[in-house]
Amino acid sequence: MLDHILSILIFFPALAGILGFMIDKKSIRAYGIAVGFVEFALSLWLWFAFDSNVSGMQFMENLPLIPSFGINYILGVDGISLFIIILAAFFTMIGIASLTKTKNEKNMIITLLFLQMTMIGVFSALDAIVFYVFWELSLVPMLYIIGAWGGPLRIYASIKFFLYTFAGSLVMLVGMLFMAYFFYQATGTWSFAILDWYRLILPESFQLWLFVAFFFGFAIKVPMFPFHTWLPYAHGQAPTIGSVILAAILLKMGTYAFIRFSLPLFPDASVFFMVPIAVIAIIMIIYTAMVAYAQKDVKQVVAYSSVSHMGVIILGTFALNVEGISGSVFLMIGHGVVSGALFLLVGVIYDRRHTKLMSEFGGLAHVMPRYATIFGIMLMASVGMPLTINFVGEFLSLLGFYEQSHILTLLAGIAIIVGAIYMLSAYKKMFFGNITKDENRELKDVNKRELLALIPLSIITIWLGIYPKPILEPINNSVEAVVQLMHNKSTTVEAKERIPNVSGIVISKTSTREAH
Amino acid sequence: MEKYLYIALFAPLVSSLFSALFTATPKKQFVGIVASFLIFSAFVSSYILLGHIMDGGEPIHVEMMTWMATGNLYIPFGFVVDQISVTMMMVVTLVSTIVHIYSIGYMDHDKGFNRFFAWLSAFVFSMMILVMSDNYAGLFIGWEGVGLCSWGLIGFWFHKDIATWAANEAFIMNRIADLGMLIGLFLVYWNTGTLQYEGAFAAFAQLDTATLTWIGIFLFIGAMGKSAQFPLHTWLADAMEGPTPVSALIHAATMVTAGVYLVIRSNELYSLIPHVGLFIASLGAFVALFAASMALVNRDMKRIIAYSTLSQLGYMFAAAGLGAYWVALFHLMAHAFFKALLFLGAGNVMHAMHDELDPFKMGGLKKVMKWTWIMMTIASLALAGIFPFAGFFSKDTILEAAFAEHHMVIYGVLLFTAGLTAFYSFRLVALIFHGEERYKIFGIHPHEAYRFMLIAMSPLLILAMIAGVFQAPFFEMVEEILGAAEYHIHSHVTLWIMLVGTQIFVGLAILYAYKKYGTWSSVPDGSSKMENSFIYKLLYNQYYIPYAYEEYIVKPYNEISEILWTKVDQKIVDASVDGIAGFFYSAGENTRDMQSGNLSTMLKWMVAGIIILLSLAVVFGLAARYSGEIMAILSGLGV
Amino acid sequence: MEIGLNHYLILSTILFAIGLVGVMRRKNLLLLFFATEILLNSVNIAFAAISHYYGDLTGQMFAFFVIAIAASEVAVGLGLLIVWYKRHGTIDLESMTSMRG
Repeated sequence: MLDHILSILIFFPALAGILGFMIDKKSIRAYGIAVGFVEFALSLWLWFAFDSNVSGMQFMENLPLIPSFGINYILGVDGISLFIIILAAFFTMIGIASLTKTKNEKNMIITLLFLQMTMIGVFSALDAIVFYVFWELSLVPMLYIIGAWGGPLRIYASIKFFLYTFAGSLVMLVGMLFMAYFFYQATGTWSFAILDWYRLILPESFQLWLFVAFFFGFAIKVPMFPFHTWLPYAHGQAPTIGSVILAAILLKMGTYAFIRFSLPLFPDASVFFMVPIAVIAIIMIIYTAMVAYAQKDVKQVVAYSSVSHMGVIILGTFALNVEGISGSVFLMIGHGVVSGALFLLVGVIYDRRHTKLMSEFGGLAHVMPRYATIFGIMLMASVGMPLTINFVGEFLSLLGFYEQSHILTLLAGIAIIVGAIYMLSAYKKMFFGNITKDENRELKDVNKRELLALIPLSIITIWLGIYPKPILEPINNSVEAVVQLMHNKSTTVEAKERIPNVSGIVISKTSTREAH
Repeated sequence: MEKYLYIALFAPLVSSLFSALFTATPKKQFVGIVASFLIFSAFVSSYILLGHIMDGGEPIHVEMMTWMATGNLYIPFGFVVDQISVTMMMVVTLVSTIVHIYSIGYMDHDKGFNRFFAWLSAFVFSMMILVMSDNYAGLFIGWEGVGLCSWGLIGFWFHKDIATWAANEAFIMNRIADLGMLIGLFLVYWNTGTLQYEGAFAAFAQLDTATLTWIGIFLFIGAMGKSAQFPLHTWLADAMEGPTPVSALIHAATMVTAGVYLVIRSNELYSLIPHVGLFIASLGAFVALFAASMALVNRDMKRIIAYSTLSQLGYMFAAAGLGAYWVALFHLMAHAFFKALLFLGAGNVMHAMHDELDPFKMGGLKKVMKWTWIMMTIASLALAGIFPFAGFFSKDTILEAAFAEHHMVIYGVLLFTAGLTAFYSFRLVALIFHGEERYKIFGIHPHEAYRFMLIAMSPLLILAMIAGVFQAPFFEMVEEILGAAEYHIHSHVTLWIMLVGTQIFVGLAILYAYKKYGTWSSVPDGSSKMENSFIYKLLYNQYYIPYAYEEYIVKPYNEISEILWTKVDQKIVDASVDGIAGFFYSAGENTRDMQSGNLSTMLKWMVAGIIILLSLAVVFGLAARYSGEIMAILSGLGV
Repeated sequence: MEIGLNHYLILSTILFAIGLVGVMRRKNLLLLFFATEILLNSVNIAFAAISHYYGDLTGQMFAFFVIAIAASEVAVGLGLLIVWYKRHGTIDLESMTSMRG
């Protein structure tokens, strides 16, 4: 069973979703929780069986699909993707468990199960075409969630989300086809397997073009400035569960793809574009933090804060050294947990008051002390307080990038200031002061169902902040392999200098195949 | 011995978690008692560790577990008890034990009694991490932790808008400095390959001066925030919105001295870069004078004491910057005792006066609050540096150090500030406890604080009086690690003239304060000549710095944020995306007329299409046929 | 003057142009059919002429194909036309806009 655990992880929720159509409406929630739990347990088993000392891919599966074009169903995980898969399973589980009563609950849960399939598919695919298929498929359930259960502008928001990300993905697809074509030119065989592509050394000029093509697909998904405007709409209109999954998992697809594709495939181009991308990341960090500060709607604050934090992740990724990339992968997990929790928290107050405007609140700490406490923990995690999960990632990302550029890191470090500004002022507006609105006087504190989701998240937030080693170690091993690969593959002098040599052993170039 | 280290470190955490269990329940007296007891046990452990170190024992170094390890980076949770940290541990645990016990009385009627102890103990835990860590990253944990607890405690009465505002201000301003600190950490890591003190200090010697200077500057920026040095000082005075025990513990005795601790801890770095040290000393001297001048005219009891804290922090930085690290550490310790005493006394007065803070509305309180009067007077004498109280031994040594190092400007400034300190301290004492009983106008019936609160304060009273006797053993203890030199002024005559001269100068300042304010009888209403003078207004408005920050930083930040959102994000970035989508949409909208359903029109389009295709075929055919000629013509045109 | 290939092609072109103008200008469905017939037949002429010129029978064969298709097309088309006329009482093109986008 362990041989096919990835396929099981991918298709079990989908099958369960199809079976779900036959389940009675009343028991669908229990069914969904059970499926989510089994899936989560399976993902934990994956972690348990995972050998964290191995840096390469594990649990590989290979099934020919279109052999003549080298399109195969290849799956595998390493330390980079493992934890995002677990996170996806975890969030789907607690997302279903904490789902508030909505219309068409059955459809919602089935959609979530399909969404889970696509998410796990993206993070375990090792074939570009399979990756692309899951990548695009993930749009459909999300489109449905926003479009069917969203707010008043839901149609606009969902179509914007779909078309925007879809347009970017198409450019990425063209890039993939070109990449496979270059591979064919160089080796005489067709292959879309990412691990095969890793062995191909491209001339720098090719790398630049392909990097740009992939960049569009990934940057829109992340989303990077100035491609971020779909995100506030999607978050603003999506139901709570949609925002949670979107922020926690879907955004990570972009940053994950940078590490899986852009860095190892195009090391020279990554070095070439490092500074421009860092500048974009800094703009993301500061600009969106300031925009977040100007928001009236607490959900928008969290949405823009997501963009701001994704900037730090991008920065860590393009540090191109082990510290930075490990930090950025860890921050993906951390940001997933924290922003997911923050969206759940916003959902809590929205369920009670049916508004997200901060001016409608004030003094909530008087009536909802437990809510204020959990919000406070997540707030502090969001601003990067040490001993919370986000600090580890942010610290390592910034530390990593400091090796590449001092002044840019100093600018990016403003994140810790501006982050505190918008978060604290939002907290003050919502929780401090006296209760001014009569509607708020009788608000009930968080109930058991909500605690079911929030307590585990709070525990993870602090536990991984104090003891990140169980996650950081496997990440570190896989990242070292990626950095070493990049160092070995890089052709320009600058890239050789910028990308550190991890092991000190350079694999001789003749053993790798060169294009042209 | 390691057992005591763990008790000292984790007893406050246990206390905090225990109190946190009861945050949602009504006030429970035992929460305060248990918390105080646990903090007291941390104090006892620290005392045992102090004994161990004093006896010449080896520093205790433990490594609990790995925190972060990736690439070459390795950061453990490591703790060290050496001469520096044990001094800090003593100060922290002693003052916090007293403040905990005192708070049982002070927070007696507060709804958030249990919550208060949770935060207060959490603060002690963070502070212990800060001082005990064996690496810069651990120090940063504590550094941010105390910032968090300070946020929670300043904004403890969260229904007060001004309190939560002050809490946010403190947090954000500290964050600005923390960025500097973080950059300092990065520099240390990339230049030495480690964040452990031992490894980093050993590697500093090999680095070039420019790098060391940058490290020194960035770490000091971090210290400036926590220790509220100019220009990041405004939060400290505003932080007085928090409960008074908090001001005593956090904003006088411990947290604000963390910056000084950082400089002392990094003494091996700062000894290598004396020019940065000189800058630190100059800034310290400037802040000493600057803060003292603001304290001269202020009409808020707690703010006056806060400015005096700021001023004394300036003294500490002056000493540390000049390389007199042990003097700075000693003054830090002595200052913690008498300043905490002063704050707690102020807390008694506030309780008695129903949270009235204007000393001009008090007066004559010595009749009803005899013990508080005695304590505050002695604390003020110690602060002023009168023999034989604590301040004399610590502060005068700073003056001697400045003199012995031949920094006459710094010496002059510090000496002058000593006079100012004496004046504003006794202005406060005189206004509160002497003169006419002006509070009667406001119908207040003051009363002395609970007896156990006074008893809790008494150790501080004793220490404020006798801390000077510890100077010699303290010097002996830290000598080894701080490379300390005694500051001897070569001629005994000069020394005596200095000592006596300073005492007379300070004494005169005290007498002047008593003379001017000892018999004060009215509440100023802003009409007197002095109150309308430029200097008074300048000082009373804190050199208009808070106003300038509000006007030139906060407001523009708000406005720029608003513009970025409404104009840039919505009108430019998003609008251009929508514009592209809109282009396709409107193109479709406009061309749908072509699809009129009218066969005749469609046939016309078809014919047009055929003609275009045909002509394109002809053009390309010709071009391919005559490509040679076309190239020749083009090259002839110089294309 | 001997009548050569060019003359046939010119005739074919002229007929094609007439057919094209007819396709564009006619509003009556029946006349539109006529115009298409002219178009097809102009091509037929060209086919036959070029076939003769090269001595290759493929062109003439294609001409027969076109004639057969044209015939069947007219048969179906006229049938539809009659149905339309019975329904709407007109075979004016302006009345047929139900495919409007």
